[in-house]
Amino acid sequence: MADENGNIKNFAKKLVFKALKAFLKSIVFYIAYLLVWSFFSTFEGYVHGLRQTVENFVIIYISLGFFSDLVSDTIFQQFFNVARAIFVMGYLTLALNGGILNLTYMDIALTIDLRLFLMVAVMLSLLGLARSMLQAINYAHKKAESASNL
Amino acid sequence: MSFMDVSIRMTGLASTLFWTLLVAFFASAVYSVKDLHLNLENPTLSLTQEGYAIISISIKIENDGFHNLSEFNLTTKVADLNGTRITGGFTFIPIVKRNEKIVAFHNLTFNTALLLEKGPYYLFNDSYFTVTAIIGLKLAEVIPVQAISNFSVPWGAPFYNFHIEQPTFEPHNSTHLKIVAPISFENHASIDINGEISLYMYNSNGELVSQGESTITASKGVHYRDSIVLYVQTSAITEKGTFEVYFSTQFLSYGPLVIPYG
Repeated sequence: MADENGNIKNFAKKLVFKALKAFLKSIVFYIAYLLVWSFFSTFEGYVHGLRQTVENFVIIYISLGFFSDLVSDTIFQQFFNVARAIFVMGYLTLALNGGILNLTYMDIALTIDLRLFLMVAVMLSLLGLARSMLQAINYAHKKAESASNL
Repeated sequence: MSFMDVSIRMTGLASTLFWTLLVAFFASAVYSVKDLHLNLENPTLSLTQEGYAIISISIKIENDGFHNLSEFNLTTKVADLNGTRITGGFTFIPIVKRNEKIVAFHNLTFNTALLLEKGPYYLFNDSYFTVTAIIGLKLAEVIPVQAISNFSVPWGAPFYNFHIEQPTFEPHNSTHLKIVAPISFENHASIDINGEISLYMYNSNGELVSQGESTITASKGVHYRDSIVLYVQTSAITEKGTFEVYFSTQFLSYGPLVIPYG
């Protein structure tokens, strides 16, 4: 009974610690977002829905990161990491219209070719995806190893 | 720590580093646009003595951003009111370095005779040319941006509102009449006009009954008035007929402009 209580306490402690860590990481990421946004805010008036698009991205990205940290040291962490990498690729591709942005401002039709940026972002996301896969394999391998040692 | 753990950690570090670099570069490149001043001054239209019209657009680029600009190009197409292409131009600036200011001129030249081929409309009526401008450049030398805009350039007619006023008839001698035909027009062109106007008078049978000339010197913007004197045999004149007007200036010749009288 005392062991069970101790386990629950430990689990609760770990969970609170993970939640705190996830929360702090989210705060740091949000501050970084605010810093980067200050560079883009000038163009908010020119590009319709720019802030909404970026904020949606940040909210989902932070949420996935938060849940990933909350379930760290479990296989679910890798699920969230993979989901985050796939989300970044998908969202950027959709939001940037495949890399070609068409805007209109005061009778001027603007076309911005962001394919190079998108390509690098997708490649980095693929790197993140590969890392998550490796982590999942590593996690499964360590679990199997510890089970066989028992 | 196993080899796998090290690999995963290194991959994570590399990923974080490259993401930071990418976001920082992209943010600075976008932010630099704020400090990029591109100014296409109002196009001016001028006419040369050789009969060419020149549309000149001044391009001012001031790059106060963090990065260089490359492959700046301006492509223009000038069309008349019907959309028919008259001329085009292309200006290319390979690089505009940061903290650099560049002034360039984009000139479009075309022969005014080309306009007269389309009829006398541009000789006697003010009009507009539609200019389509395509600006391309590479922000931070890697992000291609293209802007397309349409604007108009006014065309001032050199013989705007040309007309022959009611001629006066008076006897010259027993066989001839002296006809004074007042002419007037406004020179809306951007240069002074020097040349000659010839007037041919035909009776209702289509016979040439007289001719006269007048030397014109019309400064730009003036309302020009003059008279052409014709001496006509009294027996040849009819109640109705036509005047044929021929224009000859330093940059164009046109005729006949047929104006009925009577």
